[in-house]
Amino acid sequence: MRNLWKNKGFSLINIGGLAIGLASCMILLLYVVYEFGYDKQYKNYKSTYIAYTNMKANGKTFSWAWTPGLLSQELKENVTGVSNSARSSYPISLLIGNGENKLKNKGMFVDPAYLKIFDFDFIDGTSDNILQNINTVILTKSLAKKLFGNHSSINKIVKLDNLEPLKVEAVIDDIPQNSSLTFDYLMPWKLYEKRETWTKKQGWGSNFCLTVVQLQNSNTLAQVNTSIKDLFHRMDKDQENELFLHPLSKWHLYGDFENGKSVGGKISQLKIFLLLAICILLIACVNFMNLSTSRSEKRAKEVGVRKAIGSSRKSLISQFILESTLLSFIGTVVAFILLEISLPYFNNLLNINLIIQYNDWRYWLTLICLILFTGLIAGSYPAFYLSSFEPVKVLKGFSIKAGSAFSVRKVLVVFQFVFASCLIVCTSVIYQQLNYIKNKPLGYNSNGLVQLSAEGNLKNLQKINLLRERLVKAGAVTNVSTLSMSLSNGGNNTSGISWPGKNPNTSVLFNNRAIGYDFVETIGAKMVEGRSISKQFEKDSNSVIFNEAGIKAMGMKNPIGKKIKWDTGENVIVGVMKDFVIDNPFQKVEPMILYSAFKDNVSVILLKLNPSANVTASLSKIDEIVKEINPDYPIDREFVNQSFEQKFENEKLLGTLSNWFGGFAIFISCLGLLGLALFMAEQRKKEISIRKVLGASTGNILTLLNKDFIKLVAIANVIAFPLAYVIINQWLSAFEYRVAISFLPFSLAIVISVLIAILTVSIQSIKVAKANPIDALKYE
Amino acid sequence: MIQLNNIEKYYANKGVKSYILRHVTTTIKQGEFVSIMGPSGAGKSTLLNIIGMLEEPTYGTYEFLGEDVTTLNERKRIELYRNHIGFVFQAYHLIDEMTVYENIEAPLLYKKIGSSERASRIADLLDRFNIVAKKDLFPNQLSGGQQQLVGIARALAAQPSIILADEPTGNLQSAQADEIMNLFKKLNQEDGITIIQVTHSEKNATYGNRILHIADGVVKDDVKVIV
Repeated sequence: MRNLWKNKGFSLINIGGLAIGLASCMILLLYVVYEFGYDKQYKNYKSTYIAYTNMKANGKTFSWAWTPGLLSQELKENVTGVSNSARSSYPISLLIGNGENKLKNKGMFVDPAYLKIFDFDFIDGTSDNILQNINTVILTKSLAKKLFGNHSSINKIVKLDNLEPLKVEAVIDDIPQNSSLTFDYLMPWKLYEKRETWTKKQGWGSNFCLTVVQLQNSNTLAQVNTSIKDLFHRMDKDQENELFLHPLSKWHLYGDFENGKSVGGKISQLKIFLLLAICILLIACVNFMNLSTSRSEKRAKEVGVRKAIGSSRKSLISQFILESTLLSFIGTVVAFILLEISLPYFNNLLNINLIIQYNDWRYWLTLICLILFTGLIAGSYPAFYLSSFEPVKVLKGFSIKAGSAFSVRKVLVVFQFVFASCLIVCTSVIYQQLNYIKNKPLGYNSNGLVQLSAEGNLKNLQKINLLRERLVKAGAVTNVSTLSMSLSNGGNNTSGISWPGKNPNTSVLFNNRAIGYDFVETIGAKMVEGRSISKQFEKDSNSVIFNEAGIKAMGMKNPIGKKIKWDTGENVIVGVMKDFVIDNPFQKVEPMILYSAFKDNVSVILLKLNPSANVTASLSKIDEIVKEINPDYPIDREFVNQSFEQKFENEKLLGTLSNWFGGFAIFISCLGLLGLALFMAEQRKKEISIRKVLGASTGNILTLLNKDFIKLVAIANVIAFPLAYVIINQWLSAFEYRVAISFLPFSLAIVISVLIAILTVSIQSIKVAKANPIDALKYE
Repeated sequence: MIQLNNIEKYYANKGVKSYILRHVTTTIKQGEFVSIMGPSGAGKSTLLNIIGMLEEPTYGTYEFLGEDVTTLNERKRIELYRNHIGFVFQAYHLIDEMTVYENIEAPLLYKKIGSSERASRIADLLDRFNIVAKKDLFPNQLSGGQQQLVGIARALAAQPSIILADEPTGNLQSAQADEIMNLFKKLNQEDGITIIQVTHSEKNATYGNRILHIADGVVKDDVKVIV
């Protein structure tokens, strides 16, 4: 213990490195635990499943958690092994209000059985006989508070969409953030059927709801899956889609499917983080070993004396291990402080809420294991190495030979730099990829494009025309159009399109969107040939436009004027649009069919701001006019490029995280290198002095010392490059549009790592190089 | 060649000055072979270090080759090391990781001498000191006397005008010591190299032609050796 205090500088580097390593490791572990905890808050999560539909189209199999409305009943009644089943709609943002206090919040329509499958925490009311009545609602705690303040909300009436009065039957606790279910209030399925009357009449071919299934026993999953595989076909001879159940606990992390089979998903990213956590911890441990052994010359004497007075090797080992465990304990305490300081920042970054579970015994157990593990790993090498010194040799005047110990340390430093340089390469490729996708033309101009959600009066085409006239007249916008889905989201698609010459055995999936007048002009897209839907052609009700990908998928030449069949109706192709990105900017643009909006298929109104007017002024004018036309709803508008930006969140997050933790890893590696340089300079002090007396300049000495380290870093880079290449290639292969791996990231890694190595080593060795040679030569 | 004027060296500790050298004034001419003698702690080595510019005097002036070198920047000092001064140490101070050949080569590399010139000079030295067969050995494979030969060869490689030797035979048996001292004498007489050595041994001192006796930091006696 006195030892630690005596070498304050050394202890500081050591504890600092360890603390940063531990803190990084803990943050990553917290995040990993958080992600693994997804959907596991419910008592029956192990026996709860989500029904998925496999659909073959465009030569691929698509897997969706969308199912027909009839499925739930069928499963519950006629499939053995199923104990319960319920439907829910997807969360829909709807206006909900208590008097004039109206808010847009996410609501879901569910069967009463839904509340039996998920044991939500009821604060007010119970799960019995709930949502039986059509005009009822369950609120979450925070929504109840927003609507009713601190007053009780039970049995009060809220209004949905300024239309349906709903009685509050219960209040449940807020849904934890790491739950795939996201809603602020629940309403009965019956209400959904009343609002969306079409849902009642749908058969087995229409997938529009989520079906959650509870099995009696989770072991029977395989059996149930085989028995329900062709259920759609049995119910309706025309249906070829297949059905399967996906465990709730895997819903979040294993969300990717290929050929109808689960192929992972977010779990791979999580595995990377887990690996990162372990590697950072290892690096910190390696550091510790390096720094400890580099001081061995100084402590060798102590070991010699201790051995000479009869201390056994065992007790020496335990002394060193104890010391390192103590250090790692202090490191942990410091790490905690770092953790508490940095957590808010990371929560903000990840947009989640990680907290340290101080009252969870598992957390403490992990922590203690971590301390012991670190202490043991970090202390083992110095312990065994130092304790093996022979007392006679040590006491006679010890000099460490440039032998085995040193090369082990070199291997450790190489390992650290392999990791660091891998991270540099990966991070820069991630950023390159992000930039590449961001700068890839969207096919339309998202600048100054505002999306207004169409609700209330704004669902009415006449009112939209009124809005258009007034906005253009006010000079706030240049163009107005509508779309049946948000421009930046995925949405409806259909395989019911046939054309002359179509192979009847293949099905091609088309995204289908209803567009308003001047759609192409408003979003700034381009027509390849033909015309767009516009006001001049009043009888456009059976005209359709395809994108280029659509025409290509149909293999059609000279498409203008050709007729296609869509379900039962016949349509004429009047135009071909250049491809533009709607959903996933990382993938190729899918075939799309666009048709004229009629009646109520408008969900957003697109506004192109007047480029010559002030944006703020235009926006306030828009708000004013929209409020006049649609007074009952709060204004819900967003810039398209902002909502588009959200698509990059995952990749951005990965980039930021690998940036941060890569930085930490490099920093810790630097500390390790510093330790090695410290050792090396100490060891070569005499040689350096001799060289100086022989006429070597400080520059010569620095080159001499750096040469060896640069060699190490170069070796590390050589090992790291193929490794990094494989990793990053794997990551990139998930994207259809990807940046080519260039030399740039690799050269960046070399430059950064060499620069860092030179700086670190030079800081240390310049002292030795500048020292008066006589100091080292005088004493023998 | 060397002009020391009133050189003083002391360490101040809590206002009390502890002197190592006091009022040292002497001149050493080109071609002299000077032995510095005196009891332990007299300041012999310090004086040699000051002459070798490894330490700076606290007071006084020092001229080397007519140039004031009392305080010298590093570049100029290295320049002098490369071209004019060769050091020989009691503990030889060879570089353990390098062979005999490489050890002798080191100062030539710093002096930026072409490779053919280097090879011929080293071959010459190896030949002269009869250590050709040892050129690929490492220092720890040699006896003390042989190591010191290599040390001297290294000091001579850069063709210095002066050699500073701090107890060059201190670690050697007498037979080897005689050999080294004869070598020094020969270098001094035949090549005209100025030599300054620190020694304890009266016998070794007689190889030179002048003896400086130092006691308690003061030059007590400056005598010519008469052969």
